[in-house]
Amino acid sequence: MRVDPDDAPDGTLERVIAELRRPMRLDPALDQRVLEVLRRDPIAPGPGIDSRARRFRARWIAGVATGALAAGLLVAVLRPEPGTTRPIELRLSAPASQVVVVGDFNDWDPDATPLRPGNEGGTWRVELRLPPGRYRYTFLVDGRRWVPDPAEPRAADDDFGAPTSVLTVS
Amino acid sequence: MIMHRPAAALAVLVLTVSPLYAQDRRLVERLDPVTSTAVQQLVDSARALQLPTEPLVQKALEGSTLGAGGDRIRSAVGALLGQLSRARDALGPAVTDAELTAGAGALRAGLGAETLQRLRALREGRPLVVPLSVLTDLVAEGMTTELAARSVFDLARTGRPDDDFVALRRRVQTELRSGTGRGGGARPAADPPAQRP
Repeated sequence: MRVDPDDAPDGTLERVIAELRRPMRLDPALDQRVLEVLRRDPIAPGPGIDSRARRFRARWIAGVATGALAAGLLVAVLRPEPGTTRPIELRLSAPASQVVVVGDFNDWDPDATPLRPGNEGGTWRVELRLPPGRYRYTFLVDGRRWVPDPAEPRAADDDFGAPTSVLTVS
Repeated sequence: MIMHRPAAALAVLVLTVSPLYAQDRRLVERLDPVTSTAVQQLVDSARALQLPTEPLVQKALEGSTLGAGGDRIRSAVGALLGQLSRARDALGPAVTDAELTAGAGALRAGLGAETLQRLRALREGRPLVVPLSVLTDLVAEGMTTELAARSVFDLARTGRPDDDFVALRRRVQTELRSGTGRGGGARPAADPPAQRP
């Protein structure tokens, strides 16, 4: 597994901070409901309006708003971030004119993820962003040779005869 | 049976359209019709059982890309469906798709359902993808299932982070590949790595 050191493997704290920094989205109907209450029972100073009732109403509205804010914040913090991905670099040292990778992350499509030749002679590389999980994959060299990733464990089973590797993203 | 006209129209629509939506285009495009239909039925079964379907699709696409025949693809996808189901039985319903996939891999590697249950209990409330994957990888590297399970349980019991499981796997991998490990019955990397501060 190759994970960018800047992305802490656990990352819970960073995720919570990111969620707290994210602008809150309140129920759009909240403003409308509050305005309806105010229109129905206008709070106008003057004879006949009990100040205690006004205070109670204001507290009630503030309480509802605070509750909605707290509930939204709680949901935002507790909800797992759906799009969390980790940067992964795959490399293969091989004399070749073309190297591609196929795996569970690209529908095993040989056209989807070509590797680029690196500066060092014979080293091919590609960067991916993957969500946490376990992925099977293999390299295809020059369109005819299947090569497992020497840096990662071999799959316990090669269902279809070609050697495959497994990558675990945490 | 008397049916109101709008209700009847909706029923006809659902019955007509839902099979089309259920078809995975990737299977239709990449597999022969017989294999595609058979794999789709397995995918539908998984969906009905509330099991993840994407690993089954990926297994079929893997077979297609690697040039396997239809029978072999159907067999591999069917076996994976069974492993996902057993993994869910072992790990319980509150499990992510990624954990189920990792659990299925562990079963495929020869680990027992009771090993998965034990690990679930030791890591209650914490992610299982990495411990399950490391367990599977250790066995794939040649370690016995008993020793691999004991090594991973040692880390799980003390609440170690995922990084420590990965470090264990790397140590075993390095030792076994360099020929210094005795993977079969010894304990080359069973000692857990140092506790992080």
